[in-house]
Amino acid sequence: MVSVTDLRTMYEQMVTARHYEERLVDEYLVGKQPAFDISAGPIPGELHLAAGHEASGAGVCIHLRDDDTVTAPHRPHHIAIAKGVDLKRMTAEIFGRKTGLCRGKGGHMHLFDPDVNFACSGIIAQGCPPAVGAAMAAKKRNTDAVAVAFLGEGAIDQGGFLESLNLAAVHDLPVVFVVEDNDWAISMPKDRVTDVQNGAQRADGFDMPGVRIDSDDAMAVYEAAGEAVMRARDGNGPTLIEVQVHRRMGHFMGDAEGYRPEADIDRAKQRDSIERLAEDLRSHGVTDDELDEIRERAHERVEEVISWAKEQPEPDPEEAYENVFTNPPAQAATDGGAAADAPGDAGETGGDN
Amino acid sequence: MTDAVDVNSADSWPDDADDVAEGYLANWFVREGSAVDEGETLCEIQVEKVSIDVTAPTAGTVTETLVGEGDDFARGDVLARVQPSA
Amino acid sequence: MATESRDYTEATETDRELTMSRAMVEAIAWEMRENEEVFYMGEDVADYGGIFSSTTGLLDEFGRDRVMDVPISETAYLGAAVGAAQAGMRPIAELMFVDFFGVAMDQIYNNMAKNTYMSGGSFSVPMVLTTAVGGTYNDAGQHSQTLYGTFAHLPGMKVVVPSTAYDAKGLMHSAIRDDDPVVYMFHKRLMGLGWMPSPPGPKTGVPKEDYTIPFGEADVKRPGDDVTVVTLGLHVHRAMEAAEQLDDDGIDAEVIDLRTLVPLDTETVLDSVRKTGKLLVVDEDYQSFGVTGEIVARAAEGALDDLSAVKRLAIPDVPIPYARSLEDEVNPGTDDIAAAVRELHE
Repeated sequence: MVSVTDLRTMYEQMVTARHYEERLVDEYLVGKQPAFDISAGPIPGELHLAAGHEASGAGVCIHLRDDDTVTAPHRPHHIAIAKGVDLKRMTAEIFGRKTGLCRGKGGHMHLFDPDVNFACSGIIAQGCPPAVGAAMAAKKRNTDAVAVAFLGEGAIDQGGFLESLNLAAVHDLPVVFVVEDNDWAISMPKDRVTDVQNGAQRADGFDMPGVRIDSDDAMAVYEAAGEAVMRARDGNGPTLIEVQVHRRMGHFMGDAEGYRPEADIDRAKQRDSIERLAEDLRSHGVTDDELDEIRERAHERVEEVISWAKEQPEPDPEEAYENVFTNPPAQAATDGGAAADAPGDAGETGGDN
Repeated sequence: MTDAVDVNSADSWPDDADDVAEGYLANWFVREGSAVDEGETLCEIQVEKVSIDVTAPTAGTVTETLVGEGDDFARGDVLARVQPSA
Repeated sequence: MATESRDYTEATETDRELTMSRAMVEAIAWEMRENEEVFYMGEDVADYGGIFSSTTGLLDEFGRDRVMDVPISETAYLGAAVGAAQAGMRPIAELMFVDFFGVAMDQIYNNMAKNTYMSGGSFSVPMVLTTAVGGTYNDAGQHSQTLYGTFAHLPGMKVVVPSTAYDAKGLMHSAIRDDDPVVYMFHKRLMGLGWMPSPPGPKTGVPKEDYTIPFGEADVKRPGDDVTVVTLGLHVHRAMEAAEQLDDDGIDAEVIDLRTLVPLDTETVLDSVRKTGKLLVVDEDYQSFGVTGEIVARAAEGALDDLSAVKRLAIPDVPIPYARSLEDEVNPGTDDIAAAVRELHE
C-alpha cells in the first residue's frame, strides 16, 4: 500500500539531493577553472556526485529507522540525505571543516553519522561486510533492526560483496543489498566486465531473493525495498535488489567522459526519476503548488547548510594526531611516536605543491 | 629562409568544445631551440578538462614558446613558432 | 631482447622532455612492440588510459587483447597475472590505488611474492604490478597512502619508485625485462597530469631509444658535505627544494633518491653518511616500522662510528586525514625538511 506521505517525503529528499549535488558542482569548481586542479578550491580531492541516483536512496531509506544501519559507497550523498544524516555537519565535512561529521578527517567519501547509523567508504564493496556485521549484531541482540548495504554495479564482481551475500544468507541475517546500476564503472560498461547483465541474478547463487528494478522509478524501488526490509525485520533473511539509475555527472568531478558516447549521456539526462515521482504525486492529488513548496523548502535547506558549512573553521593542525585510538596508548606522547615527531614540530608545514 | 610557422591553439581545439574560449597549458615537452620532427608532440593543453596534444606542424626548430606552462590562453592564441628545417 | 640497451647513469641531454606518465607509457609501448608476451590489465586502463594516465594511447596501438579492462576483482586479476607470468608471459597488472591492495593482498604476497621461493626456484613470476601512490591532494585515508614500507617489507618482490621521467622510463624497461615480480609505484603528484600539477623536477629529458636503469642503484641528486638527506618519490623534489634554500644559508645538503627499495643501495647511503656524519631520512609512508627506520638501521650497522646525528621525517603514524590543514600537517613539507636539516647541522 503506497503512502502519499511517504511519497512526499521521498520527493523532498530526492529534490534536496539533486539540488545539493548541483550546488556542490558550483562550490567544487571554485578555484578550479579554467585550469582544473583537483587539490585547489574550497572542496579539494575527488568528488563523486550522485545526480541520477536519487530514487534508490529515497525509495529504500524511507523504510528505515534511525537504529537501522546503512553503509554506502563512494557516491553517498543521496543515500545520506535519505537516511537523515545531519546535513549541516555532512556539508562541513565535505568542505573539510572542524565541525564536520568526522572533524575534517574523512571527506565526502567517508561520512560517519552514528546518530542514524550511517557510514560510507571509498573502496568498492567495502561497506558490505560491515552491513552484514550490523545485521549480525541486531540478530544476536534480538532487536528488529536491519542493515542495508548500498553499492554500485561495478562492485558486484568484488569478493567482499559475494562473500557478504553468502555470509548473510547462511545466517539468515536481516540485511538488504542494494546495487545501484548506473551502467558505468568509471569508464567500464557493464558488459565488458560481467556476462550477467541482471545483477540481481547474483542472488540465485546464494539462495536469496533477488529483484531487479529496470526503470529508474522511485515508486518501484519503494515497493521492492519495502518488501525486502520487512522480510529482514521479520527474521526471514537477506535480499538483493538491483536498481537501474543514471550517472548524470561523470564518475567524479573533472571526468571528461571521453569514453562515453554522447547519446548515452543524453539518455541518462532524459530519464529523470524526480520528474516521474512528481507525476505520481500529481496522480495522487498533490498539487503543483505543493510540489513547488517542497522544492523551495529543499533549495532553502541546501543553501542554508552550504552557507553554514563555509563559515565553519578549519581544523587545527594538531587535531591530526587525535582519534587514532579511542584509548590512546599512554606512552604514545612520550616515546617518539605520532605527536612527538610530528613534521609540524620542525617548522611550518608544506603540502603546498 | 622561410618564415617560422605559427602553432595556433585553434588548430588543436576539440570539436565538441566550440563554445569554449579558454584553455590551459598543462605541459611543454620542448624548449625554445629544440629540434622537432613533424607531428612530434610539443605541448599538452587542456580545454574543458580534456587533454589535447599539440603537435609540430612541420619539422624544424622551436624558435618561440609564447604561453607559459600553467598559464591560461584564449582560443586562437599562438602557442609556439617553429622554424622549418628545410 | 632484439635491441641493445644502454644504461644511463644520468639523464642525457635531449631536445625532448616528457612527463613521468608519458615516459612510463613509452617504455611499456616499446616492450609491447618487442615482446608479444607483454600485456597490460587493470581497471580503466583501456578507453580511459589509466586514471593517472599510466596507459594513455596503448589501447589504440595494441587493442583490447593486450590492453585489458578487467572487472573490479583485484584478487582475480592480480592472481591471474601471477598465473600468466608463471606460464611464461610478462603481464603488467595495475592496482589503481595502492590503498586497494587490501582486497587482493593474498595474491600479492602469498602467490606473486613467494612462489619463486616456495617452488625452490622452479617457477618464476616475471610480472609488473603498477600502482599509484601518494597524497597531497586531499583524498583522505583510503586514497593517499604510499605503503612503500609494506611492500618492501615482504620478501620476494622488487620495489621501485621513480621520481623523474628519465627514471620512470628506465625503471619500467628494467621492470618488464626482470624475471621477478616488480612492484612499480608511481606517485600521482609526479605524473605530470594537467589536473594535478607536478612540482618542478619530475619532467626531464628522456631519450627516444630504450634504456634500462639497474635496480639497486640510488641516485645522488645533489652532492653535499654537511648533511645527508635520503628520500624517494615526491619527497626527492621537496628535499631538492629544501637543499636550495639551505644552500643560501651555507648548509650543503646531499640529497639521495633511493629509486629502488628492493634491492636497496645501502652503499651509496653509507658512503654519504661517512662523509657528512649526519643523516635525515624523509618518507611519505608511516614512520614506525618503515623505510625511515630501515635506512637508519642500515646506517647504524654500516657506519655507526661516523654517525653523529640522525633524524627522520615521515607520516607520524596517523591515517592520512582529508582536510587540507590536517594533511599538510602530517605530510613532511619542504620547510619541515629544511628545518630538520638545520637542526642536524647545529
